[in-house]
Amino acid sequence: MRDFILKRAASLILPFIFVYGIYVILHGAVSPGGSFAGGIIVGLSFIAFSTIYGIEQGRAKLPEKVLVWTESYGTLWYGLMGLVGLVRGVPFLANKLAGVDLGTPGTLSSGGLIPLIGLGVGIRVASTIVTLFFTIMEEER
Amino acid sequence: MTTLIRANLPVLVVIAPLFVAFILPPLARRIRLVEALALLGAVLGLGGAGYLASIVLTQQENPFIYQLGGWPAPWGIELVAGSLGVFFLLVVGVSVPVLLFAQGNLAAEVGGAERVTRFYVLYLLLVGAMAGMAVTNDMFNVYVLVEVATLSCCGLVSARRYPRAAEAAFTYLILATLGSALVLGGIGLIYLITGHLNMGFAAQELSRVWLARPHVVLMAVSLIVVGFGVKAALFPLHVWLPDAHSTAPSPASAILSGLAVKGYLICLVKFLYGVFGPTLLQEFAVHRILTLLGGVGIITGSILALTQEELKRRLAYSTVAQVGYLILGFGLLNVTGLAGALFYLASHAVIKATLFLAAGAMLAATGKRNVRDLAGVGRKMPITMAAFTIGSLGLIGLPLFSGFIGKWYLLLGSWEAGLILPAVAILAGSVLCAAYLLPVIRAAYFAPAPEEDWPDPGRPQKLALLLLAAAVVILGVRPGPFLELAQKAAAELLAFY
Repeated sequence: MRDFILKRAASLILPFIFVYGIYVILHGAVSPGGSFAGGIIVGLSFIAFSTIYGIEQGRAKLPEKVLVWTESYGTLWYGLMGLVGLVRGVPFLANKLAGVDLGTPGTLSSGGLIPLIGLGVGIRVASTIVTLFFTIMEEER
Repeated sequence: MTTLIRANLPVLVVIAPLFVAFILPPLARRIRLVEALALLGAVLGLGGAGYLASIVLTQQENPFIYQLGGWPAPWGIELVAGSLGVFFLLVVGVSVPVLLFAQGNLAAEVGGAERVTRFYVLYLLLVGAMAGMAVTNDMFNVYVLVEVATLSCCGLVSARRYPRAAEAAFTYLILATLGSALVLGGIGLIYLITGHLNMGFAAQELSRVWLARPHVVLMAVSLIVVGFGVKAALFPLHVWLPDAHSTAPSPASAILSGLAVKGYLICLVKFLYGVFGPTLLQEFAVHRILTLLGGVGIITGSILALTQEELKRRLAYSTVAQVGYLILGFGLLNVTGLAGALFYLASHAVIKATLFLAAGAMLAATGKRNVRDLAGVGRKMPITMAAFTIGSLGLIGLPLFSGFIGKWYLLLGSWEAGLILPAVAILAGSVLCAAYLLPVIRAAYFAPAPEEDWPDPGRPQKLALLLLAAAVVILGVRPGPFLELAQKAAAELLAFY
């Protein structure tokens, strides 16, 4: 696609979409949305980028290697957050019991480990949906 | 450190394979490392299972209850490593020799390094899901694990670059998804009338409310039995199994037939006995239906296996028949029959893994699929064929091999239940089993050996076959602790009956 207006508009909007996705991921515990929805939004910003600027540009932004890494280690990150409980001598995936400060209700820190866990899930969802998109697009050619 | 591991064992046996699975993908280039890590993951799982079994068996803590995140039972997810859970965790150990067999020779069957890595990832996910099914006591958790296992299975079936495998995987995917949906519906109905997802609490509540809503309960039982029936290839719902299990790469066939199907059956047992309870089953005559389907499954599966020319397809149909034995045992509603079914589940896991791996080794060496073309293979590949023979004798149920003890207890169980037809089906199944496996062995040993050079597989493959064959014999000669565990699990499941 060689549309000047589309490209300019996208270059203005897409960074905000990306940041908004991260916001939704992190605030899953205190607001609507969550890591899955946020991950989709983040992934969508990359998908929109690749449709507007071309697959090659998108691939250059997110090479296959990066996608493989984020996809597996995003999930692993979730597991590692679960281990925090184990290390503190309480059950797997414990949050407050593990001695995490829960702060004031309604703020980001009130989720304890949840925003961090959500970050792992969000990264995984984003890279999965981008991988799916690239796979489908490359199959068509 | 040891106290830390001991205190968290039930969750560690589940997450160890999962952790390793997610470390693997970026390492795809270094295939040796991937193989070693995958084996390590499975061995860690088995080691944890053994430790857990030692804790439960010595009565230090029985059952070993673990609350995820520290949330107590009706709210949080509970992992319970009781006799049944530990028993199945030990059965999941079959994944170790199968993985050993895969070492170094998967590339020929599956393709490049990346595809091999993908295979190991899916394999470990499946092992983790199976371990989870063994210990979980939460119904929704069961559903999630069932999904993880199903999707991994589909990936394993289609791991080979082979159009028929892709087709089989697609059929399997659709039918298995249907099964998951039915299971989820059943769980939803139970949740609707009990308000609990924890199996123990749901069972308590169900025993109070089922009289008020018998139709909902009946619907839930039917959805769960049919849903898990599709996944476990219960007789009329088995159509996907022969294609899927015969076109998968050999280690995948071994794990799918040996283990994956059993995971769903363990979940079914947990639902039937742990949630609905024997009294309810009897009320709705579910046990009669199970026995009937099991018996018909034994006979039909065996006859269908008899008509197959291709060795792996013959083994796949035989799995349908063996699932029949297990389902039949679940329906007998007495401790002997249920213990027999559970022991048979373990013995079939080992036996079918042996048979599929041996068949895979023969296929790889000779390139011949059909039984007829494998004449004389016994002289060329002595170790492979010896393992195949031991597995076959075990499956037929000769004394001194593990299949015998399971079948014997199933026979005693049907005698105890006062049923003649199941006993006839069990015996007829054995005879038919001999009819479809013995010709393979006869042709392999007594036909003249062909000119071609068919070598035995490499060292890890031989070791895997020998380990599995040894397990078949050991379980048959000294079933001791394993049988004890099965009996204890059966007694606990039928405790309130």
